[in-house]
Amino acid sequence: MVNGVRSRTARRPGVYLRKASLVLLVLALVLVRAVAAVEMLGDITVEPTMVKGSPTAPVTIVEFSDYQ
Amino acid sequence: MLKEYAGRVRLIFKDLPLPSHELARPAHEAARCAGALGRYWPYHDKLFANQPSFERADLVRYAGEVGLSRETFTACLDARRFAPEVEADVEQARAIGVRGTPTFVINGRVVAGALPVEDFRTVIDEALKDKP
Repeated sequence: MVNGVRSRTARRPGVYLRKASLVLLVLALVLVRAVAAVEMLGDITVEPTMVKGSPTAPVTIVEFSDYQ
Repeated sequence: MLKEYAGRVRLIFKDLPLPSHELARPAHEAARCAGALGRYWPYHDKLFANQPSFERADLVRYAGEVGLSRETFTACLDARRFAPEVEADVEQARAIGVRGTPTFVINGRVVAGALPVEDFRTVIDEALKDKP
């Protein structure tokens, strides 16, 4: 308190740097997970009897489902 | 949807019997047996139409109803011939983070849950714009 006024303590640049680093780290982890998921799709096996539609179709829908 | 987008969309069905559904795994194995005998999609449709009646006798009866030899089908089912393939699908789902059903992956975009048809159209149309 200075003359009845609460003074704001100036934060050191290091605090902002740490927060920014944390945000970047989280974003990087999200990105890596998303990329990994998409890359894994290339490893999905396809049983020909369980496919409908043209093999040259530009859009492929992979459906994971449970009969029950 | 496949008729509507004929030639532009193909569907790959993957088995993901949930652990909480004890009759699901035999049903998925049965569908693969039907597939090996040339009647996958009729049997697949029969299963969805008769949820959740998937006791062994039901599965064998459905085989007969879609025109399969009950003896050949039963031999496949009882031998659990396709148990490894069903398990492989479950493992693949797990590997890409798919936990619930139904989950759709449309040109790499994950769509979880049974969404309204209109939502599927939106995602498919966007995918077609990217790959005309």
